[in-house]
Amino acid sequence: MKRLFTGWSWIPWLTYGAAAGLSVALVLIAGGSPAASARALIESSVLSAPALGESLSRLTGILFSALAAVLAFRGGVLNIGIEGQFLMGGIAAAAIGPMTGLGAASMPLALLASALAGALACLPAAWLSESRGVPPVLSTILLNLVFAAAVTWAVRGPLRDPAGDYPQSRPIPDEQAISTMVPGTRITPAPFLALAAAAGLAVFLWKTSPGLKLRAAGDSPLAAKSAGLSDVKIRTWVFLGSGGLAGLGGGLEVLSVTRRLYDPFATGTGYSGIAAALLGATDPLGAILSSFFLAALGAGSRAMEREAGVPAAIATIIPALAVLAVLTHRAWRERGQ
Amino acid sequence: MAPGRIHALLGENGAGKSTLVAIASGQLRPDTADILRDGRAVTWTSPRQARAEGVTLVPQHDLLVDNATVAENLALLDPMAPFFESKRKRRDRVARAESLFGLPLPPPEDLASSLPVGSRQRVEIAGALLTGPSVLILDEPTAVLSPPEVQTLLQALRTLSESGTAVLVITHRLAEVFEAADDLTVLCRGETVLTRRVEEVTPPEVAALILAGSEGGSRDEVMAGLSETDSRKIEPPRRAATSGQLEEDLVLEVRALATLDSKVPSASLELKPGEALTLLAIDGNGADSFAAAIAGLRPATGSVRVAGAPVALGDPGSYHDAGGAVIPADRRLEGLFPNLTLTENFAVSDRRRGFWLTRKSLEEDARARMSRFSIRASGPEARTRELSGGNQQKVLLARALTPLPKLLIAIHPSRGLDLGSSASVRGFLRDALEEGTAVLIVTSDPDEARLLGAPIRVMYRGRLSRVLDPETPVAELGRYMAGLAE
Amino acid sequence: MPGILETTLLLSVPLLLAAAGELVLERSGSLQIGMEGTMLTGAFVAFAIVHAGKSPGAGLWGAVAAGLLSGALFALFAIVLRADPILTGTAWNLLAAGSTAFGYELIAGKTGAVLELPSLPVVVMGLPWAGLAAFAFPVILHIFFSRTRPGLVLGAAGETPMAVRAQGYSVAGVRSLASLFSGALSGAGGAVLTLSISHTFVEGLTAGRGFLALGIVVFARWRPLALLPATLLVAGATALQYRLQAGGSTQIPYAVFIALPSLLSLAALAVATSRRGAPKALGTPAP
Repeated sequence: MKRLFTGWSWIPWLTYGAAAGLSVALVLIAGGSPAASARALIESSVLSAPALGESLSRLTGILFSALAAVLAFRGGVLNIGIEGQFLMGGIAAAAIGPMTGLGAASMPLALLASALAGALACLPAAWLSESRGVPPVLSTILLNLVFAAAVTWAVRGPLRDPAGDYPQSRPIPDEQAISTMVPGTRITPAPFLALAAAAGLAVFLWKTSPGLKLRAAGDSPLAAKSAGLSDVKIRTWVFLGSGGLAGLGGGLEVLSVTRRLYDPFATGTGYSGIAAALLGATDPLGAILSSFFLAALGAGSRAMEREAGVPAAIATIIPALAVLAVLTHRAWRERGQ
Repeated sequence: MAPGRIHALLGENGAGKSTLVAIASGQLRPDTADILRDGRAVTWTSPRQARAEGVTLVPQHDLLVDNATVAENLALLDPMAPFFESKRKRRDRVARAESLFGLPLPPPEDLASSLPVGSRQRVEIAGALLTGPSVLILDEPTAVLSPPEVQTLLQALRTLSESGTAVLVITHRLAEVFEAADDLTVLCRGETVLTRRVEEVTPPEVAALILAGSEGGSRDEVMAGLSETDSRKIEPPRRAATSGQLEEDLVLEVRALATLDSKVPSASLELKPGEALTLLAIDGNGADSFAAAIAGLRPATGSVRVAGAPVALGDPGSYHDAGGAVIPADRRLEGLFPNLTLTENFAVSDRRRGFWLTRKSLEEDARARMSRFSIRASGPEARTRELSGGNQQKVLLARALTPLPKLLIAIHPSRGLDLGSSASVRGFLRDALEEGTAVLIVTSDPDEARLLGAPIRVMYRGRLSRVLDPETPVAELGRYMAGLAE
Repeated sequence: MPGILETTLLLSVPLLLAAAGELVLERSGSLQIGMEGTMLTGAFVAFAIVHAGKSPGAGLWGAVAAGLLSGALFALFAIVLRADPILTGTAWNLLAAGSTAFGYELIAGKTGAVLELPSLPVVVMGLPWAGLAAFAFPVILHIFFSRTRPGLVLGAAGETPMAVRAQGYSVAGVRSLASLFSGALSGAGGAVLTLSISHTFVEGLTAGRGFLALGIVVFARWRPLALLPATLLVAGATALQYRLQAGGSTQIPYAVFIALPSLLSLAALAVATSRRGAPKALGTPAP
């Protein structure tokens, strides 16, 4: 009991309370009723098949981005470039179908290409980090802007749909796309693929030897050397794997949700993924929960805006506040040691 | 301390020298202290206050700003520097500092990062003199200098003290004390054991006093703390090499190894299976760098072969592939994975493991190692950061010695451990030796080196001494460590 | 239509302000990647104040105040509480994006029309006085770092924090002050963007300018005077892109200009041997 007070261990919990309180305050400021807002939010995110479909369609991109962040952070790589790697995956998926003309067979190829594109998008940052000592944070942030520009170029140049008035890519035809499984909803196999990837990543991290080595190198690169591991090699693989997951997310977004690439594309998904990873305790299974929370918040916030008059942007504010609370909690825990 | 005199402060690592001067200069706050300054009690809570009272510390590792010029660094060190200052005024300060110190300083516009370590130190000392100290404290100023540089520095300090400054110098080198100091104080475990004028004592007396105190001043206690295993002596390698097979039979073969931090210019040694060697050295003489470089943890040039296989320098993987294992100097920073569990810390470098890790086999393995190495923890799922220092070290031993490597390099394996833990660490090293593992140990503690019972080579300024018998008296070992014998 | 030179100068102002602020913060050893969020906050606050009928000058000062508050929050989380600065910055960007969109919706959501705002008064060359100040900052900072004692101390905090501590200063204190300064400047940059460039506010108005400011600091290799050419190059590329777009020319892909600033910064990182110029203690916690 004494430690409870002398250690100030209750302070971090205050931040969670503050985050929740601020969120409710925002609803009140907007003139909404918290109860009505919550009802609108829940009804239009999980309580009907179309609503669930909407949430699940948002889940795919966020969860893959979150998994990319989990892998990177566990391996000790601050990959802030998930946003850009996601976009490169999207470009690859939008390009493969029309370019190969393979019909239905192009879909798996498109997914492979998007994962590859995401991984390749990490290479400059990995090289700069290991051979030039450039912090990955700086290089990946700058690459985000470059890849956003790549989308701008792609939809106005090589991928442009000649039929449309807007700069966007040609639509993915039905046979090449990942279509709905339940008629009348947007429920596709894509979010289930994301769930499977999360389970796979969890098994990899906790049950395999390479996964252990990766976590070890992330925990202490110096100790990894003493244990005979090559931390440079591990970090490079972590970078590529993280980019691959992000790229796959972008590819699935194009094939199953938007069916086209346009500009700007899925802004903020990569950053939401980072938030979801942190809220999910940097654990793939935790990331499923937090990603679904973020996705449902995004899906339900539109209804909340319509029915309770609370701006939909609250769906971005709540996770951000929660992340700040988590970060404070973490810092506090580490300070005690 | 008296004005106009040079006072030397001596003591083993951890005797409290740096803490004492940190308190005296206001860097640390004491729990209790009486600091008398000109006969009146003073307290200060910051380095600024101490400096205002005329007490200035020159730290062991200089704190120059690399990206700044000599002139800028001196401006930073000068508390009287005005808010705004022209380049010319800053150059003038360099000239002023030069005349205060009496030694030439590098050009004012040179970047600190471009200076050799000796010049950096001159800038740091000159900066300390700008405050006009009546008490100047220098923490191991000669550790990084070449012999001619040491001479120049000592002469300059002598001139300073003759002009009325009281100078306190921390050092490990007895030769310098007897050459340059007027008085000396020996510190042991935070207590003063001797304060004398230099003329009144001889170097061997002081060396014996310093080294005797390193294990608490009670050698009986040390002897009593020896476990049964400690009475075992290390046997010469059983498999004596026949002349023709000499090359293949070496487990470690180091040729002309030079570390990139230039602490070790070129050193060679060899070990046979089941053979042990203790590298004894005062910190900063390159023994840590040398051993870490063999294990691939630091960049180096030269050649290293482990069990006949060439090891790629700077690649710890290649050293481990050849059959080596290492216990690094700083167990928390470079040894353990603090947020991983015991089982994970063991499994991570276990080359017998396949792709899949099953909880059951991991746990069995962890429990076996915990009982074999008597590791006390709440269970195999405890995080290693929660363990005590002695148990953390045993975790590293259990990791490095299971399965038995051909070669183990252990850098300060018992540093910071209590007597019981140190004894059991020595026991495990001996067990490994008996099983045929070759062991290279680095320590800075001559008692420890003697207790290990293996042949000793002392490293002084990157050079290895001849092989010494483990029965060599501590005072004699001290002479080698202080560079008084070769 | 203003000339390409005037456009370049005007577009430089927000980048220059944010980059100058970030440079000071990074030289003190702290890395804030939430400049984007701080600029956006400043841009929104300026919009809200002017929309409420106050003068553009009041909007600018309001943005500065909002920036100071952002800087104080970053200092609290990342410097005092020692939360991971990179992740704090990421969360801050999200929070700013969300709350400015939220606020904008509350103020302007019902109308649906673009709200045109009065501009900051132009002093010379199409620049408001805050713009002139922006061009003065690199010079002021150069003098600050090379000729003043606080400048030396701040630079030392990012290079050799222990030296600052040995002088009896608090490294966290120095970095927190730098964070306040950097917040104020980024907030002002956002205000100029709203009041002198776009003349209105939209969601995500800053469009990556905060990240570009980070790149400019790297491109300038942390030297204040080098901010000027680096920013002018970036802003010039943007101005040229506007001109080409307006002229309907498609010879050079428009995306090249968008990517150019980042590519230049990346090239600067790749070419430089080691991290010369980067503060050595950048991103490490205060001792």
